[in-house]
Amino acid sequence: MTIQKSKLIQGLSWAHEIYADREQRVRELKAAGKKIIGYPCAYVPLEMLTALDLVPYRIYGSIREPVTEADRSLPATFCPFMRSCLDRALKGKDDFLDGLVTAHSCDPQHRTAHVWESCVEYSYTHFIDMPGTLRADSMDYYKGQLADFKKTLEAYTGKKLTADKLKAAIKIHNQQRALVRDMYQLTIPDPPLISGTEILETIKAVMSLPVAEGNELLAGVISEVKSRSKGPPKRRARLMIWSSTLDDTEVMNVFESSANVVMDDSCGGFRPFRANVKPTADPIDGLADYYMNEITCARTFRQAAIGETKKDYPKDLASRFGYVKTIVKDWKINGAILFLVRYCDPFAFEMPSFKDYLNSIGVPSTYIEYDYTVGALAPMKTRVEAFIETIT
Amino acid sequence: MVTGEKKKAIRRLKSMYPLRAKVNESYLKGAEAVKSGRPVVWGMLNYYYGDSVLKAMDIEVVYPENYGAALAAFGVAQQYLDIADADGYPTHLCGYSRANIGYASRMMKQLGGEIPPDAPLGGMPKPLFLMSSTAVCDARYKWFQALGQYMDSPVWTFEAPVPGLHEFFMEGSLERMVKMGVTHLRDFIAFVERLVGRKMDMDKFAETVDIIIEINRVLHETSELRKAEPCPMHSRDFWSAMTPALMLMGDIKDSLKCYYDLYNEVKELVENHVGAVENEKYRMVFAELPPWHSLALFDKLAERGWNFVIESVGYHPPIPIDLSKLTDPVEKITRFNLQKFLGLYQDAKDHNVTEGALAYPYLKYVTEWRCDGALLHPLISCRSASTHLPYVANILLEQVKVPSLTIEGDIVDLRLFDMEDALAKAEPFEETMEHYRQVRKQSGLDW
Repeated sequence: MTIQKSKLIQGLSWAHEIYADREQRVRELKAAGKKIIGYPCAYVPLEMLTALDLVPYRIYGSIREPVTEADRSLPATFCPFMRSCLDRALKGKDDFLDGLVTAHSCDPQHRTAHVWESCVEYSYTHFIDMPGTLRADSMDYYKGQLADFKKTLEAYTGKKLTADKLKAAIKIHNQQRALVRDMYQLTIPDPPLISGTEILETIKAVMSLPVAEGNELLAGVISEVKSRSKGPPKRRARLMIWSSTLDDTEVMNVFESSANVVMDDSCGGFRPFRANVKPTADPIDGLADYYMNEITCARTFRQAAIGETKKDYPKDLASRFGYVKTIVKDWKINGAILFLVRYCDPFAFEMPSFKDYLNSIGVPSTYIEYDYTVGALAPMKTRVEAFIETIT
Repeated sequence: MVTGEKKKAIRRLKSMYPLRAKVNESYLKGAEAVKSGRPVVWGMLNYYYGDSVLKAMDIEVVYPENYGAALAAFGVAQQYLDIADADGYPTHLCGYSRANIGYASRMMKQLGGEIPPDAPLGGMPKPLFLMSSTAVCDARYKWFQALGQYMDSPVWTFEAPVPGLHEFFMEGSLERMVKMGVTHLRDFIAFVERLVGRKMDMDKFAETVDIIIEINRVLHETSELRKAEPCPMHSRDFWSAMTPALMLMGDIKDSLKCYYDLYNEVKELVENHVGAVENEKYRMVFAELPPWHSLALFDKLAERGWNFVIESVGYHPPIPIDLSKLTDPVEKITRFNLQKFLGLYQDAKDHNVTEGALAYPYLKYVTEWRCDGALLHPLISCRSASTHLPYVANILLEQVKVPSLTIEGDIVDLRLFDMEDALAKAEPFEETMEHYRQVRKQSGLDW
């Protein structure tokens, strides 16, 4: 049985195995009677699923698999990540999913959600509308959306989602966030103790497991990496990758063939783990604050001061990207790759401004775009190498 | 030798011209405002919400989206697209946004804040502030945020909630949206008051809101008249006439008179059985944004008897709702604004169409306007107006046996639209429409 095999291996080997066959564990859990709920975006509050004993499963696309079925429902000039996610669903690749939760994190997520709901049957679906701004009234609206999510989950499971259950789930997810941050601490030394590829495999594996098992995996990886004698070789540069989505080791290998990737600020990397959900009397308040304020995806409209009557560009940049300054300093980053999945409008609009911000803190950067296919990797390698040449 | 002017394939409405002229008038007013020291705002289409406030405060608004189309139509967009490219904006971003970013870059970085001398329609002056909205797509707030690179104008971003179809019907959902909208709009009024240094006249605001609602009701009723066969108002006339209702361009009291004229003219033509196309062979729906730079396509199709009788859901007024009992104009315009995209959610739910705001309306259109086919125009750089089109094609064919013809293009980049290719597809598509007429008949559908 795979479940026994999973228990026999630990740490990086376990992460590698799950990464290579992500659905193995959730299929076992489903066979054991658990409900598996898929979600394609980091903005879905997993704590609410965990609290009701549902198993969250992050849906990813595949850069290796040509999109064929999704062409029936989505145009070709559209977020290739979401096209790929829907394509896999239409091909029945995620047929173990009992439910699907989507959020209005960006236009492609929003638009795909409704098409998806119309053409793939699940026993549970829910769409969380999200405001674009951080205004107080927007936050109240978002809390209402989370309250509705709670209601449909309770109706689906037949269980009450109490504050205590939710607080317990927040605690265990915060432990996961802390463990991921601990893992990223291992890239601070020069050379780093763990590669970007190993981190990516681990996080993607964690997103394929129930939270407790994910935490066990992370603890094992951290322990193994700390105790091993040989880590990744020192490369010519210490890079940060800034992206909407980076979810495949083949892509990471392109960067790591000539540099150490010490920070991956994407939704498949550090971004959803950068902070903890704060403890609040009503746990919905803490979740709303975390998902709106702490996840620094380009989809949210941030500004130096809400209602400001004059824009100060440096202050504006700091309000949008200021969190990066500490990362650059602590991880001793000497180059950044602004990595865009084609047709991702929120990140595409950010590129010149983020470049300005990086310039202001002395970090050289380059912009590389790809179409979420393996075919894009060869030319990408040339561009990455050329960039490394210019900064070393 | 006798030379006669060739008869136009589309009979244009006389009452459309004064409405179309309001677009030019609006830009000229913007330029005049700057010369006389009055502020101008750059606005993103926000469906009457923030526009109503600025209108009541006599603040001129120009619309970079609309101006992007104008730059394309005047054939001068490319230079601005090139500047946006050079400034690092990816070429697959919204064409309107890239044209505007290039325009802002040139105006602020090269011309020290002066309007480019060759800018069409008098150009867009530097704004007092930027009014963006999360409605419809991500570009419409990320774009104005990006303009901070060039100008110190603050940005106000409106929320535009879009609940899921089933989630919308959960208890309290609409009222939460109204609560957010009302609070937000009151804050916006205070923001504008701070910027311009004077208070809003709430009586004038209430009157403005009522006029806006009435304008849109009249335009809605005019579209209802277009269900007549033959249809006397072609989509070209709708596109030409819609802007004062959608973006409140020009004097709204005068616009209201113009819309009554439009309604009356269409009504009279309906009564006299006059169509926009002489021999209406095929009744068509168009989705979504038209090829502004190549509108002659519709004349060529009209020569084949194609009459476009309904179109572009994003440009149409909300389904009318009775707001007469509300005394607070802020709440009234908020509810009216929400109605724009939520007004057909119940119908969409009844028809099991999960996208109620942009996709379902096309099912209603082809059914009630009795269309033979849909012409879908996906745009490479406007994903918000394109994403739902394959889904629309599917539901039209599955639910009412109406086929779609897809012709790709772009809103700004003329190179991506091939009129000859589009026209070459017309004849085979007519055969498809004839086939589906039979299929509909066999399926018990009555058109």
